[in-house]
Amino acid sequence: MERHHIVALCALIVVGLVCTIAGREFLTMYQPDEILAGPGVTEVRLLSTYFGPLAGTASDTKVYIMDSGKPGATALVLGGTHPNEPAGFMTAVLLTEHVVASEGKLIVIPQACNSGFSCTDPLEGYPQSYTIQSKSKLRTFRFGARASNPVPEWPDPLVFLQYPSGQQLSGNEVRNLNRSYPGRPEGTATERIAYAIMRLIEQEKVDIAFDLHEAAPEIPIIDAIVTHEKGKDIAASALFTLEMENLQYALEMSPVNFRGLSHREWGDNSHVFPFLMETSNPIQGRLRGKTGTSLIIQGVDERYFEAAQLGTMRITYDLAGEPLARRVGRHLRGLNALFGAYAETVPEKRIVIENIPSFEAIVRQGVGQYLN
Amino acid sequence: MKRSAILILLACLMLVLFEGSLLGQEKAKFEQPVLITSAGQSADVTIAGMLFKKANVQTKALPLAKPADLDGIKTLVIVAGFSSKGLGAAGISREQELGRVQSMLQAAKEKKLKVMTLHIGGKARRGNQSDDFNKLAAEASSYLLVVKQGDEDQFFSKIASEKKITIDLVDKIADAVQPVAKAFGK
Repeated sequence: MERHHIVALCALIVVGLVCTIAGREFLTMYQPDEILAGPGVTEVRLLSTYFGPLAGTASDTKVYIMDSGKPGATALVLGGTHPNEPAGFMTAVLLTEHVVASEGKLIVIPQACNSGFSCTDPLEGYPQSYTIQSKSKLRTFRFGARASNPVPEWPDPLVFLQYPSGQQLSGNEVRNLNRSYPGRPEGTATERIAYAIMRLIEQEKVDIAFDLHEAAPEIPIIDAIVTHEKGKDIAASALFTLEMENLQYALEMSPVNFRGLSHREWGDNSHVFPFLMETSNPIQGRLRGKTGTSLIIQGVDERYFEAAQLGTMRITYDLAGEPLARRVGRHLRGLNALFGAYAETVPEKRIVIENIPSFEAIVRQGVGQYLN
Repeated sequence: MKRSAILILLACLMLVLFEGSLLGQEKAKFEQPVLITSAGQSADVTIAGMLFKKANVQTKALPLAKPADLDGIKTLVIVAGFSSKGLGAAGISREQELGRVQSMLQAAKEKKLKVMTLHIGGKARRGNQSDDFNKLAAEASSYLLVVKQGDEDQFFSKIASEKKITIDLVDKIADAVQPVAKAFGK
């Protein structure tokens, strides 16, 4: 064997090794996250139960039912509409693993945009996963992309025409679940998820529904509850309750002319009272520095602290940052306050959920303390 | 006799002065019926409606009120703070909203109505987009009720000081119930 053959062989081996390592890393994103159903879960279904064609696709996802067996309202909670917003996902996981419905029925979809958990957004430098120490073991969860995985839907159009409004959005928004409602059975993979969720709302006669999100600390709609006009009194009442506990939330109304969003289309196309909640997530922000798992979990970024010192932030941001526990705590407390306000408004259809940890407890003990 | 008359005169003068100083410290009194409208279309107007209800003050809340809606009204309450989602929900532009608020304040001035401004949205309702509305409403008011977080830079306190407007700062929205009730003599 001549020298250049040996060099070429070595180069091939190195390339092969790099490809194998990178390929293995890439494929780990296709390993589903482990969600351990807790004592409250009475049934686990797939979203395709409500729309058959989703079965066997990357979009199908688990639906956890917690039925108290007692009359009351039915509530739906979505996490993971945007898989790069981990507080929404982790709140839904915590509900699935820890709480029990004692009146009415709670339905939780922790990974509403399931295929979006199998990739990250390009050029963002996001970690692929993060770990949380639960009561029993070290749990690993994927940190996904904002939208569905582009592979099953490739290529994106240049312009996304939202159905049925015809509203024009940038092409990549075609994979954004929270622009795809009410969806359609013959639509894109993401529109089909939206359609399936609408069928679930209809078939399960959902009364009150939540879409849990996060956003960059610098955007105006932050630490907020967004609702359809029919939910404004419930939201305002909940906000009063939350404020008494020193938890400030802005109340925002769903724009009628911005189509495809859960708070707009769920409200317009079903009898449900819809609410979307946002917490402040520094890893999504443009000002952020080092982008690693600690930014997901601890939420501490000096640049946001500097911005706050300069008076450019609309929320309070101190050196304690915006840890995941605090963000999950806000979502949970917001949910509970909205459950309470709903029960005051519609007393004949209550929903009572036991074991929701208090905001203070979850901030003090961390999310993992409430995971199996 | 002459001495007694002087003493009575002095006593009356003291009473007038004393009462005048009291009035100077007292907040402007407001009367019902009350119209609540927004300046910036934030949903804080809904929260303000609940706040007045808790204060036992009957109101009519019209986020997109027009000058004609002031007929029969004695107090105009402006809930200041910008919301892009709110403007979208209302289907109007920022400029149209600024124009609407200006026309409402002008009409209130012509009708000699009392104007109260509430700023209850904290930091979320501050910044360039909100402050045009905040300033417009605050400067035209005879009473400002502000949740402290929105006045960390003394934005409202300075306006109150410069324009000699009574201001109350409260820690929380819920703390605003009592000042509202007091302002309406409840």
